[in-house]
Amino acid sequence: MKKFYIISGLAVFVTAFTMCHKAGVFADSGYDDRMSGGAATVLDASSKAFGNRVDGLSARDESVHITGDATFSQTFVAPPSPIFTGLGPVYNNISCVNCHRNDAEGIPTAGFSNSGLLCRLSLPGQDSLGGPLAIPGFGTQLQDQAVIGASPEANVVITYTDLPVTYPDGTTVTLRSPSYTLKNPYTPLPGNYLLSPRLAPPLVGMGLLENIPEATILSFVDAGDANGDGITGKANYVYDSYTKRKELGRFGLKANTPTLLTQVAAAYQQDMGVTSYVNPEESALGQPQMSVIHGDTQPELADSLLNYVVYYVKTLAVPARRNVKDTVNLRGAALFNQVNCSGCHRPTIQTGVDLTLGPISNQRIHPYTDLLVHDMGEGLADNRPDYLATGSEWRTAPLWGIGLLSIANGTSYYLHDGRARTIEEAILWHGGEAANARQKFMQLGSSDRAALLQFLSSL
Amino acid sequence: MKKIHSSRILFSAFLICSVAFSACHKSSSSTGDAVDFKTLEANVINEFTNKTALPQYDSLVKAATALNTAITNLSGSPTDDNLIAAQTAWKNVRTVWEQSEGFLIGPVESNDYDPNTDTWPTDYTQMDSLLTSGNPLGESDIQNLTQSLRGYHPVEYLLFRNGENQVRTASSFTQRQMQYLISLSADILDNNVSQLLQSWTSAPANYANAILTAGASGNTVYSSKLAFFLDIAGDNGMAGICNEVGQANADGKMYAPYSKRDSTITESPYSDNSLNDFRNNIIGAQNVYLGLNGGLGIKDLVAAKNKNLDNQIRAQFTAAINSFSNITERYEQAILDQRVQVQATMTAIQTLQSLLDNDLINFLKTNVQD
Repeated sequence: MKKFYIISGLAVFVTAFTMCHKAGVFADSGYDDRMSGGAATVLDASSKAFGNRVDGLSARDESVHITGDATFSQTFVAPPSPIFTGLGPVYNNISCVNCHRNDAEGIPTAGFSNSGLLCRLSLPGQDSLGGPLAIPGFGTQLQDQAVIGASPEANVVITYTDLPVTYPDGTTVTLRSPSYTLKNPYTPLPGNYLLSPRLAPPLVGMGLLENIPEATILSFVDAGDANGDGITGKANYVYDSYTKRKELGRFGLKANTPTLLTQVAAAYQQDMGVTSYVNPEESALGQPQMSVIHGDTQPELADSLLNYVVYYVKTLAVPARRNVKDTVNLRGAALFNQVNCSGCHRPTIQTGVDLTLGPISNQRIHPYTDLLVHDMGEGLADNRPDYLATGSEWRTAPLWGIGLLSIANGTSYYLHDGRARTIEEAILWHGGEAANARQKFMQLGSSDRAALLQFLSSL
Repeated sequence: MKKIHSSRILFSAFLICSVAFSACHKSSSSTGDAVDFKTLEANVINEFTNKTALPQYDSLVKAATALNTAITNLSGSPTDDNLIAAQTAWKNVRTVWEQSEGFLIGPVESNDYDPNTDTWPTDYTQMDSLLTSGNPLGESDIQNLTQSLRGYHPVEYLLFRNGENQVRTASSFTQRQMQYLISLSADILDNNVSQLLQSWTSAPANYANAILTAGASGNTVYSSKLAFFLDIAGDNGMAGICNEVGQANADGKMYAPYSKRDSTITESPYSDNSLNDFRNNIIGAQNVYLGLNGGLGIKDLVAAKNKNLDNQIRAQFTAAINSFSNITERYEQAILDQRVQVQATMTAIQTLQSLLDNDLINFLKTNVQD
């Protein structure tokens, strides 16, 4: 009888503990490696791979996305005009899609209709909010195009010089090292200006990145380099012109913009000269060329259209990975971790809960970024601080979709200013906190290097 | 008896063998079909390139040349007859261009020939500023202007309107308007449509060759024949243009002015040519499906395996294109007066788009295996 009680007691314990056992996350093998954006992934490897909306939107949300898409593609014209008014007086391009070609990246030239590179400008020092110090007459961004009657603020001249790099095995790759000079300024430029070139990045998975909890991003910071891998990372806190307070920077090549709303609104205002409720003042306000435009209404972009474009960007799906079971890719993925590319390009992150948008809520995603800024060494430095990001710090670029850029854009470019023509060149430019990883990559044999590159092309 | 019985058994065995071999015969015949289908795929690719696409771009160059000539004649002798000839030449080049949008693949997009010539809307505030300024108006100056000051629609604005609301007369052109027109048409011809044709026939792009060698090792444009067929059937091709014209949302070329009852946001508002633009887009998609100049088209692939689907697609192309005839007013007016007919046309195009996007794409994915 005693045995019976003992056995029954044990059974109750076992049952109780089993019931207490909380459902954990699956092992890695329980997930489909293709689903880079979790439920916000699309199986499309065509030239339109970057332009799909996430699944599961309601009919109304779909219509908001489509109207945002139409506005994203819309050419704006000089005021006064009954439709799509507000371009200029100075600008970088006439529509979002002229730079973000096929919803992917831009072309690294400046001042042409198909150019996707712009230059941020400032003077040494900080403004009262801790941001870059505007140059009188120019602001913090150079507009290199203008409506008829106004002048471009200056023309950007880009030249490249060859920079050979030799692997320990004797293989040589020639990088191209850019230099940027300004000519024909419409009014004299101070001699001590700071210049930071920025290439329009692809719009992959922006809604997912916005939905990563701040605490998760901060948990990636290793300020004292406790694990001794040479990687520290820093969160950039920047002024949000809409909420009027400092926020965690997530977007922009130096994590200098906190939200998609401020990112999109700033692009309309600074890149196109189109004002909105978030940025109601012209980029050229207070500058001599403002007098060129007449009959302008403020704000130029309807509130609803700005919100729709933000929603469009937020609900763009991430293209799925290809060939995930390929043995070379699997080897490349292991090497990616082994040489510690993954120290900054974090393969897996869990997004937060967003009850309004299921496909981006609580998703296990593979963005290959930590959204922190890192010292990338002298070779990549622009020497122009942007809030807490120093002149040699850049935000870890998300790598999802990187293998499809050549299909979406015809010719692909990498890094903040598109200087790298191949993924390999981009790796070889890494320095600073990434110097160890670059060294380890260079010491790999050629077939291992090829495997790592092939893995990156499958993202 | 026993003997007879065994001969019966032999006979039965012979029968069974015959049946079995007949059954086997079917599978060997289907191998033959597969070989034939692969040949057919190659032939369709070849004839799409040489009988549909290249002749279409060749016609575009000829039509743009004719427009340039007509505008030069108008400039030399600004008579009403020459104005009408130039306007007609503009409409002709639009017909060919809009039909070529049935396959927006390759250099037309990647080299920006489309946005360079067909950006919408026209920026007439800046056009007026340009014309009243002293800025030079040579062809190279126009080439460097922003896209909303180049291409077909600024030409349309100048040829059909004098200012925002006045109808153009031959005697009303200023010298600078005429100079701008000449350079605009030269820019379309020299810097865009001629280069578009060239990008298909010669290095570096040699896009025709990229199509003809689809699936060959080292082809970075089309890794398979299927990739090419999906490109001309999908978002960059037939389904894509049907979607652009017919979809019932803010991105729809017909729907946007229809839903807002706004005649200022139609495609070609100065020439009242919008309806022709739309119709020619759908005809362009039909050309890809049927093939031009007696050449093979996608229809030949479909008909070889699924005659019913081929019949449906052909019938829906015909229905969609014919439905435009029910809209008898210019589109700018029809969105107000003939809404039922406009809606019917959009519905017919949506049905066609769905057939192409779903049934045809699935057909291609199922049947094209190389």
